[in-house]
Amino acid sequence: MSTHLTEEQELIAKNARDFAEEYLDPIVAELDRTDVFPTDVVKKMAEQDFLGLFLPAEFGGAEAGYVSFVGVIENLSRSCAAVASIVVNHSLAAYAIQRWGTPAQKQDYLPALASAKTLGAFAVYENGPTPGVGPDALMAVKQPEGWLLNGTKAYVRNAGKADIYVVLACTEVAAGAKALTAFVVSGAAVGLTVGEPAETMGLKGCPVANLVFKNVMLAESAMLGVPNQGMVIAAETLSLGALAEAAQTVGIGQAAVEHAAAYSKTRVQFGRPISALQAIQTLLAETVTDCHMARLGVLHAAQLMEDGEPFQTEVAMVKQFLARLGSKMLLDTVQVEGGFGYSETMPLPRLFRDIAGTTLLDAPADFPEKTIAAALLA
Amino acid sequence: MSNLTAEQKQIQQTAREFVAKHIIPVAAKLDKSGEFHPFLVDEARKSKIFAMAVPKEFGGLDYSALAQALVLEEWGYGCAGMGTTLAASVLSMDSVLVAGTEEQKKRFFEPMVRGEIGSFGLTEPGAGSDAGSGKSTAVKVGDEYVLNGTKCWITNGGFASVYVIYALTDPSKGMKGLSAFIVEKGRPGFTIGTVDHKLGIRSSNTVELLFKDVHIPASNLLGKEGDGMKIAMKTLDMARPAIAALSVGLAQRALDECVKHLQKKYPDPKVQPGQTLQFKLADMRIEVEAARQLLHHTMDLRDAGVPFSVESALAKDFCADVAMKITAQAVQLMGTYGYTSEIAKLMRDAKIMQIYEGTNQIQRLVISRAVLTAAPAALAAAQKAGK
Repeated sequence: MSTHLTEEQELIAKNARDFAEEYLDPIVAELDRTDVFPTDVVKKMAEQDFLGLFLPAEFGGAEAGYVSFVGVIENLSRSCAAVASIVVNHSLAAYAIQRWGTPAQKQDYLPALASAKTLGAFAVYENGPTPGVGPDALMAVKQPEGWLLNGTKAYVRNAGKADIYVVLACTEVAAGAKALTAFVVSGAAVGLTVGEPAETMGLKGCPVANLVFKNVMLAESAMLGVPNQGMVIAAETLSLGALAEAAQTVGIGQAAVEHAAAYSKTRVQFGRPISALQAIQTLLAETVTDCHMARLGVLHAAQLMEDGEPFQTEVAMVKQFLARLGSKMLLDTVQVEGGFGYSETMPLPRLFRDIAGTTLLDAPADFPEKTIAAALLA
Repeated sequence: MSNLTAEQKQIQQTAREFVAKHIIPVAAKLDKSGEFHPFLVDEARKSKIFAMAVPKEFGGLDYSALAQALVLEEWGYGCAGMGTTLAASVLSMDSVLVAGTEEQKKRFFEPMVRGEIGSFGLTEPGAGSDAGSGKSTAVKVGDEYVLNGTKCWITNGGFASVYVIYALTDPSKGMKGLSAFIVEKGRPGFTIGTVDHKLGIRSSNTVELLFKDVHIPASNLLGKEGDGMKIAMKTLDMARPAIAALSVGLAQRALDECVKHLQKKYPDPKVQPGQTLQFKLADMRIEVEAARQLLHHTMDLRDAGVPFSVESALAKDFCADVAMKITAQAVQLMGTYGYTSEIAKLMRDAKIMQIYEGTNQIQRLVISRAVLTAAPAALAAAQKAGK
């Protein structure tokens, strides 16, 4: 595989960076404070094709591939990772429909998703240890002409703002992960309600809430893929999600290290800028190295995906790497800025709170290790 | 030493109950509003806990260093913001313990015993890690000093009744011209500047202090003119383990919350987290315990009256790092639940432990200097013994 971006990929990344500087930098502090969904920005991103970046051109997508996708996510995140979270979760719904949808489903949903006429969301997580297991698991019961859904999806991003949700529901009591099936559900479905938005530590502006299903009736055509295929759909789609979150983490880390480096040159202690102190240089050097390595891992996995190769193990490795070192990028850059870096009038506290979110998983915390070990020991 | 005495256990238990009753129930709300908690001071006033470092002859609780650390561990467990309020008040008292005359102690400690709080002002906008480069001045005029300057990031600054403030009595001598003063609230020209909005410890009050021609009696000078740096360093040696104690409390809380969450998430004994997660919990327990023992050892040294300056730096550094690591891991282990609950507060609170009262980089300066002195001597002694 190539380790260089193509000219087109460079251009798309650069365009995202320019966009972020023009439209995200000016609003990010207020977005962080108000936690209000940035409707206007989402519209503007749709004009740039950010919401249908890897979707096929025949459905209105940019067909730019996954390397460009992670490039855009990283560059948006350098300015505002919350906005990138909106794009990521939307893109997961689009990915699942593109990958497993019938021709009719693709025609129904993809053009609107690509143009952001509809916003998407992908909902897997539940309060139980795995989907289909807990007392409030989302269950789908077969009816003569469709499916009846009851239960709760927990911590759904874009909740309340999405027009369509791709959800996993369990079709057999006590079968858990073996009987998970994916469905496309309209945000306007009768019986579907959105819970109180959760108060997140960071990534403010991207809503997170529970979806509560109470006798939600779905037509047979709402099923995505085939029965009991849900776990496969979830694993692959969430792998793209984890890859995008890794790209977000890289973007946040890059922004932090640039800020801390600039700060260290202006902060004078002991008669010289602290950038002259080797202890400070080491903190910066380690951070920028971790960030660089993570970026290479992200690009490698994205390229595998683009080439149609297996990519889930490589994504798990990036995720595992960032689970250990992602937050450290902010712990160390805040440390460089000391008391100033701890003040919410400076940007690093927001980046600190954001990166704690992008290094999380929509899966048990040992998921990357399990995936990697399974591949190694197979 | 790892066995607490009955008296120490009693102090620990009392603090635990106080925290459970008065701190934990309001911690999340105060973190959100960023408000200082006067109610806490009322309750604390009754318990005299803000006078825990004050000797008996001045009406205080006269706790040993270890007992103080036990209390701060509990406060850190409940809320590191309110723990910071207590630790910073004790910090101001430490300067008076180090250098105050009997008369000054009587004057300074009396409000503490009544439940007032104290504040310690050394840091300036241009003098953080480089504490000796401050610009504030105190000029002697007759039997008074006239204070001018700005102090920043001062904990308790908006609510204290008594302050220990560092200012240059002889700017030409640099840090050798630094002196320490008692300054009472309400002196004309002494005002509070901006209030800092912080990533964490939001229930503690952090402000700028502004001094404009503030007259204080010469009898408020602690020690002699020029003693300031020496007093500050001795004070910080005493105070740094307080940050270690808050850190141990924070880390223990994160571990406990992790376990509670996992037990709730995995109620079925047949479906349990695997070894990856179980061992992470074991690692957390190991680190919390190691941090706690290092802290208690340092306090034992101080209580025994032997030098503890290096151990103080070790404890502050290690315990703060452990708190940061474990709270960050806890958020990650709990996933989005951790990210959207009070657990995230622990991680935000922990970060300051590595920064204030001397960044962990400053601790490492102290420690590396000690290592560079001690190691060659130890090797030489070993060689000599072998001959």
